[in-house]
Amino acid sequence: MTRFTLSFDLWMAGLRGTLQYRTDTFIVIVMALAFQGTGFAFIWVVLSRFGSLAGWTLGQVAFLYGLRLIVHAVAGVLTGPFFGLEQQVRTGEFDRYLVRPLSPLLQFMTQRVEISIFGDLLGGIAIFVVADQLVGLAWTPLAFAYLVLAIAGGALVEGATRILIGALSFRFLASQSLLFLGDSVFSTFANYPLTIFGGILRFLFTFAFPLAFVAYIPASVLLGRTAELQVEPLLAYLAPVVGIIWIAASVRVFDRELRNYQSAGH
Amino acid sequence: MPGSEPIIRVDGLVKTFRSPRRHPGPLGALRTLFTREYTVKSAVDGISFNVDRGELIGYIGPNGAGKSTTIKMLTGILVPTSGELRVAGLVPWMHREENALNIGVVFGQRSQLWWDLPLIESFELVAKMYRIAPERYGRDLGRFRELLGLDEFIATPVRQLSLGQRMRGDLTAALLHDPRVVYLDEPTVGLDVVAKERIRTFIEEINRERGTTVILTTHDLADVERLCRRIILIDQGKVLYDGTVERLTASYAPDRVLVVRLASDSANDGTNERPLDLPGVEVAQREAGSIRLRFDPAVMPAPTLINEVVRRYSVSDLSILEPDLESVIRELYERRSAVP
Ligand SMILES: Nc1ncnc2c1ncn2[C@@H]1O[C@H](COP(=O)(O)OP(=O)(O)OP(=O)(O)O)[C@@H](O)[C@H]1O
Ligand SMILES: [Mg+2]
Repeated sequence: MTRFTLSFDLWMAGLRGTLQYRTDTFIVIVMALAFQGTGFAFIWVVLSRFGSLAGWTLGQVAFLYGLRLIVHAVAGVLTGPFFGLEQQVRTGEFDRYLVRPLSPLLQFMTQRVEISIFGDLLGGIAIFVVADQLVGLAWTPLAFAYLVLAIAGGALVEGATRILIGALSFRFLASQSLLFLGDSVFSTFANYPLTIFGGILRFLFTFAFPLAFVAYIPASVLLGRTAELQVEPLLAYLAPVVGIIWIAASVRVFDRELRNYQSAGH
Repeated sequence: MPGSEPIIRVDGLVKTFRSPRRHPGPLGALRTLFTREYTVKSAVDGISFNVDRGELIGYIGPNGAGKSTTIKMLTGILVPTSGELRVAGLVPWMHREENALNIGVVFGQRSQLWWDLPLIESFELVAKMYRIAPERYGRDLGRFRELLGLDEFIATPVRQLSLGQRMRGDLTAALLHDPRVVYLDEPTVGLDVVAKERIRTFIEEINRERGTTVILTTHDLADVERLCRRIILIDQGKVLYDGTVERLTASYAPDRVLVVRLASDSANDGTNERPLDLPGVEVAQREAGSIRLRFDPAVMPAPTLINEVVRRYSVSDLSILEPDLESVIRELYERRSAVP
């Protein structure tokens, strides 16, 4: 548990550090809100024209979109700094995490805090709350518990993907463009009902790369749409578990790749 | 300490860096991208040494000799390509977190402090990381504040500190948990005379008071002369010399220099005199008003030489220069570059 409190203290220090730059903080949050808002406005326009998207109503799509944004923000709490990993590995700044008594990965992830997560979180919650009004779900304690677990599981899948891609930095000194690609794969395919993308992609994103588990499957469960899923209904309830498996694997890969770290001459 | 186990054991340590071979020409970058050819560079090429508890060792060598690379293996930052390495019984890269509890590291070229936060916060975070008991933290920090004069800038964000202030902060952050071994890689680089002296005194104090083992890398040989009994001199990834400073100067630079200042009333500068053809003596430098004679005391004892000099010149002052570490090292480095 001390590992947990220590990481929390480090994260808070990282946040305090980032908040030193007030104007920047403000701009980043507004930008994140604007970016996510535009994305959602687009669906709104499309759906108010056509009524539904692959059988999903506006409220249901918004529910999924909001859920995925929340997951994205939660994933960014610890994995936001990954976009800077390549740079830290190249310059040898990464050295510092290897000489302190805590896992280098945890130290790296708590070194600074990506401020845009607060924009994403605000936007995500706003969309989710409105969507919830539209679909009018009856929240049981069980459904709520599932929601919380699903957000955690989804965040683990998304975070683990960043850790996996970031781990390439040690060998190839490059990961940033792949990280951006990964993020855009998530925001292209996880924000909308996977049914609109055709069978092969759906199959791949369910069984090869668990993108469907980030928001689509949990949203289907909560909205009572499990019939259209390609997985057994029971398996759908296990979405949070997929996150745990995925993160455990990615941390192992990261630790393994770390051995290839060459630092920088100085 | 005879009989006790060395705290650092290094045996046949090797580190080679592999980088993709660069191809020149317009399509070179593309070829580089898809190539499977690598250039291999041995930064550390079979180094062995032991360090006993409480030693203060100067780890020196010319630029690119492999000093920082060795330190990075000792600290667990880099995984050795081959060879044996143990620090306090642990293989650093394998038991990184355990090893981190035993060691402190300062890289003069790069800070490990929390850049955007007041200096004191870095110390507090370090205290949490190492679970330093509050009383001990208070006591030791108090001592460091005094020794290093931290008070005037302890509340300043690290990014606003001067190089010398930052270095003092880094030293504190590396030593607060009372490590058994500290690695200092160029801790005095870029500092003024006063700041250097302060840091030297501090290192000396820590080593004496707490018995902390210190491995010091520096290009300022005054650091070494002031602090280290033993030096390990490396070049091109290999150990050139391992022993005391005195033995090094005695064996590599037996010569001393006699500085002869000529009387100002005498019109001549010595050039008109008979050439000084004494065995074991050569004129190292000759300028208006003074001559420097390099001599080997084994062949030409100092008193004899002085007698000869006084007989030939009209002398106003004489002094003898002992070989200093710097000239020894300079000569060693030059000798190396002469032989390709
Ligand atoms: N990360 C790296 N990748 C590739 N080559 C490296 C790397 N780090 C060091 N080298 C090479 O290894 C050799 C030794 O470097 P090192 O940094 O250990 O030297 P040093 O003795 O610390 O020198 P200096 O006194 O200049 O700091 C150099 O030739 C350097 O170019
Ligand atoms: Mg160096």
